[in-house]
Amino acid sequence: MKDRAVPARTSTPEARASGVRPWHGYGLGLRTEHFDSVLDENPAVDWFEIISENFMVAGGKPRHYLDRIRARYPLAMHGVSLSIGSSDPFDSGYLRQLKQLVREVDPIWVSDHLCWTGNGGINSHDLLPLPYTEEAIVHVTSRIGEVQDFLGRELLIENVSTYVSFANAEMDEAAFLSEIVRRSGCRILLDVNNVYVGSRNHGFDADAYVAALPAERIWQIHLAGHSDYGDYVIDTHDHPVCEAVWELYARTLERLGPVTTMIERDDAIPPLADLVAELGRARRIGSATRRLQPVDCA
Amino acid sequence: MMRLDALERRFLAHVRGGQVFPREWCAQGLVDSDIGLAIYTNAYASRLREALEADHPLLALYLGDRLWAELCAGYIEAHPSRVRSLRHFGQHVPLWLAGNKPFSDHPAIAQLAAFERELLDVFDAADAARVDWSVMQAFDAAAWPGVRLRFHPSVRLLATTTNAVAIWRALKDGQSPPEAQPSTTPAHLLWRDVDRVSRFRAVDEVELLALRSFHSDRQDFAIVCERLARIRPANEVPALALGILRQWFEEGLIASAASDDSAGST
Ligand SMILES: [Fe+2]
Repeated sequence: MKDRAVPARTSTPEARASGVRPWHGYGLGLRTEHFDSVLDENPAVDWFEIISENFMVAGGKPRHYLDRIRARYPLAMHGVSLSIGSSDPFDSGYLRQLKQLVREVDPIWVSDHLCWTGNGGINSHDLLPLPYTEEAIVHVTSRIGEVQDFLGRELLIENVSTYVSFANAEMDEAAFLSEIVRRSGCRILLDVNNVYVGSRNHGFDADAYVAALPAERIWQIHLAGHSDYGDYVIDTHDHPVCEAVWELYARTLERLGPVTTMIERDDAIPPLADLVAELGRARRIGSATRRLQPVDCA
Repeated sequence: MMRLDALERRFLAHVRGGQVFPREWCAQGLVDSDIGLAIYTNAYASRLREALEADHPLLALYLGDRLWAELCAGYIEAHPSRVRSLRHFGQHVPLWLAGNKPFSDHPAIAQLAAFERELLDVFDAADAARVDWSVMQAFDAAAWPGVRLRFHPSVRLLATTTNAVAIWRALKDGQSPPEAQPSTTPAHLLWRDVDRVSRFRAVDEVELLALRSFHSDRQDFAIVCERLARIRPANEVPALALGILRQWFEEGLIASAASDDSAGST
């Protein structure tokens, strides 16, 4: 592949205020349902995030569209199968495929989740919770290092939604993530919806969670919808972003300054134009952030 | 205190509906740990069922809710995922159906599943350039017997002993499917055309023999004609073989042609 799209918007107020973080603007998750709309409508989206595994195929339509969309928009690669926290050895075939795709896509960055997906060679295809222990920190840190060495680039690691916490926890989730980031040198993909879901399910303070993370390492934000069952909340990505998450997003940007942001939608997928409109709200919140004022950037 | 590997092993066993996860290993948060664990167990089963349904929409329709649920539960139990992408989770479905009652009593069911899986493989098989008939015309007469063909990577050949494809077609068109019965054609050919549209058609026994010889056995033109002469009068074989070949080129099935007996290869 060639003719990779170059990141635009390097001279916006957000770009000037983003500091050490690279600024790529406001993106969407690229979904099969929208392949044709992206090419036909040229939507006002700054970049797209692809699910890496969806393009680990030999050819046909997925690769055809990837090639063309990549020529117009910067792409980030987001994986769901790295299983960074698994006690199984890495799947070397998967890592090779990932590296090959990185070579072909030349993404703005590569991310996966702070979780494990399988054990004993069996894949749950879910993002399963880790115990917040020193043992897990050591394990995950060394595995992130292995992947970063293999890919020759730093990973972004995303906080996931969890529904169970473990009795042997030695710290809270934010401390666990922060320590892994500190030791491994990786960046953070902060899923604001997952912070909200976690705060509801586990009873922690969402703002304190964000405040506890190393701000300069937060390179990307995910926004998404969830299903609220009253007593608990499930991260389903089948609804628009809810009010409470928008508010948390706004407070997060006040704290962090501009962070490259995207909306994830994986189910009950509406027309692309609806998601572009929803993304407009993120843009408005971003450009209204006080941290865009030079005086606040020191 | 449990170690990470023990925790993961026990947690996954619980998620898969096996040995329960020790409740004393859970911290009691706002959400009861029974509910928390159930969220994972439900998500596991429904995600895998959805993957199977995405791959086999018409099989699901054909079987109806009760048998479909039985298939999903049985398959998920027998073949937990060992793959990184859900795209391949259902790869053993046709074989599982062929070996498990009540599905195995009706071979059209496994063949319908096999047809849907071949369509998936056709959809995202590797890309390759295709050549047209002029490539064959460029060979001189002496080179023809040694001609071998390389097919487009999307080309698949599916043996069908039942009318599973006709059942698929009817379901796809929203009609009630025909009664399952023995097939009138021995196989189906599937491929992706130049516009990336998946195509399929029935092949008769003559074309099937030519396909097996050229495609599966990688034989040359002379051997293929020899084999065809066993089931058709020898004097009809050249014209028959030429007709079949031309159709393959026109359909975009051929990625390259080369002759052992000539430098004039492509
Ligand atoms: Fe996310």
